[in-house]
Amino acid sequence: MKTRLKLEGFLFTLFIGAVMAGALWVARPWPIRASIGILVLGSLGVLLAVWQLVLELRRKNGALERSPLESPVAEAENKWGNVEIWSWIVGFYLLIVLIGFMITVPIFVLAYSKFYGARWALSIMLSAIAWGFVYGVFEKILHVPWPTPLLQSLF
Amino acid sequence: MLEAALEGLSQILTPDSLGLMCLGVLLGSIVGFLPGIGGPSTLAIMLPFVMTMKDPFAAIALLVGFDAVGNTASAFTSVLISVPGSSGSQATVLDGYPLAKQGQAMRALSASFVASLVGGLIGPIVLLASLPFLRPLVLSFGSPEFFVLTLWGVTMVGVLSGNVPLKGLLAGILGIFISAVGADDKSGIERFTFDAAYLVEGIDLVIVALGIFAIPECIDLAARKTAVAETQELGHGFLEGAKDVFRHWWLTLRASAIGIWVGFLPGLGSSVADWFAYAHALQTEKNRENFGKGDIRGVIASEASNNSKEAGDYIPTLAFGIPGGTSTALILTALIAVGINPGPEMLTTQLSFTFAVIWTLTISNIIAVAICLLFIKPISRMCFMPFYSLVPLILVFVFIGAFASNRTSLDLVALLAFSLLGFMMRRHGWPRSPLVLGMVLGDKMENYLWLSYGRFGFEWLARPGVMILFALLLLSLCYPMLQDRMNRQTQAKLPPVNR
Repeated sequence: MKTRLKLEGFLFTLFIGAVMAGALWVARPWPIRASIGILVLGSLGVLLAVWQLVLELRRKNGALERSPLESPVAEAENKWGNVEIWSWIVGFYLLIVLIGFMITVPIFVLAYSKFYGARWALSIMLSAIAWGFVYGVFEKILHVPWPTPLLQSLF
Repeated sequence: MLEAALEGLSQILTPDSLGLMCLGVLLGSIVGFLPGIGGPSTLAIMLPFVMTMKDPFAAIALLVGFDAVGNTASAFTSVLISVPGSSGSQATVLDGYPLAKQGQAMRALSASFVASLVGGLIGPIVLLASLPFLRPLVLSFGSPEFFVLTLWGVTMVGVLSGNVPLKGLLAGILGIFISAVGADDKSGIERFTFDAAYLVEGIDLVIVALGIFAIPECIDLAARKTAVAETQELGHGFLEGAKDVFRHWWLTLRASAIGIWVGFLPGLGSSVADWFAYAHALQTEKNRENFGKGDIRGVIASEASNNSKEAGDYIPTLAFGIPGGTSTALILTALIAVGINPGPEMLTTQLSFTFAVIWTLTISNIIAVAICLLFIKPISRMCFMPFYSLVPLILVFVFIGAFASNRTSLDLVALLAFSLLGFMMRRHGWPRSPLVLGMVLGDKMENYLWLSYGRFGFEWLARPGVMILFALLLLSLCYPMLQDRMNRQTQAKLPPVNR
């Protein structure tokens, strides 16, 4: 687990370094006024990322240096780790795209709360509150123009 | 002057004006509570209605009442569920949420509301006292001075990075790059847009803040499978929080002063004030090891500054007709429409209007804090809701907030991307605050730099204001190091038993 975390940390730093290098590459042909800041900071960023990568490589397993402003992360106890909650988040987004906000919100709240053991009465009440909030504030008061759901535009 | 003050007060306390002020405060509190619904967009909706008003005092009561309290109620969501309700309460999350997790939500909220009140009361007093003196000062500020100020803000990245400076600097640079996305005003070219129309306008700070702060905390809550609070107590924090503000009165005053200063300088915006004040607290306070883990001083600094900033905003708006931000620009439009002419006349023939603004700022802050304190206990109970009730509601709240900010579906894709970035940063110990600070200040710093160079060449470096600000910047960087050194020397002199 600790080795995996270390590898993940290394890959994440590599990704940040790649973003810095990519920004440098993209900014090359721009006029000086638009690019100078990116070129200076990007070069510095690449150097810092390389330095950070070296630190990540030399770091012992489990000895993660954390900013004092960031509290430690809770590790998910099930075998899927955080994949489970990410699936819910991405699923929520996909449902919004497919069937729209107004239908997705009560379905999602009901499904999530029921899946993790809430009583039916509580799940239904939470769904009704969430739907009422979205409908009342965003639909009726603010007249938010919702995006057309994919299913509706297909059929 | 006393006559004008009394006239302003009597006009604001008429039943119509008072009723409209209460309506404004209520709307402002609701908007502050809901992430993604910005104050400016609600003000824009209100404008057509306000412009038809016959009574300028009623217009002041409604608009200023609404604007003054936007950052007060936003502490509820920042503290309880780690979702910044408004851009001015992002830094509140850093210590407010850990306090809620420790079962001290009541203390954190009470401290934040009392600090908001103090900041909200100091602001109008300074507004009143400063009007005659600040005109020459604000007129002497040009783009070079603003550049040094934004540079000063960016140096706070170091303060917010703690013992991982490399990660903090990289996060800050990433934030500056994110702020560069979109059409560039100086050269007319599109930067990092990759021919995507969505990116031409740039990336909204609301999306980044929700993705970086709210979703990773929500994931943490889902992983822990418990309530937000790790204990079963709300704590006896109601009075304790209020006492905290007065115990740290010097910090409260300093944070309020920072808020007023940021508000007074046009263009810096509400999202800067709380970060400046938070970083200042982190830089100057003793025993800093608990910052980020639930230090009440972090909450106080952030909340005192974001409320006092509102009064600071009105100094250039009223005295010179230069709006300090988007909200005051809209209010200025409405004030002109109802027959008020912001500018030097506000200090002479229209002084009663200036006092009406000052009274409204004062009274609306008191009303807003009273409302928030009234609901503090029932709303704090949110901390004890089981994760399966809270997680889906937070996700709904965040997704709707992200969509409502620009009303485009692609905002949700951006939200997912920044959520993943925030999650990875949190997981691997990267500080997230420098990224937001870099984003807030990045484009401002670049614009001021080019404006300075375009107008003065390199001569701007020799301007007295620039040199004074550079000296203050260096002093602020060196002060914590000197303080640490002095502390170490004092510790070394103590006998071992007292250490």
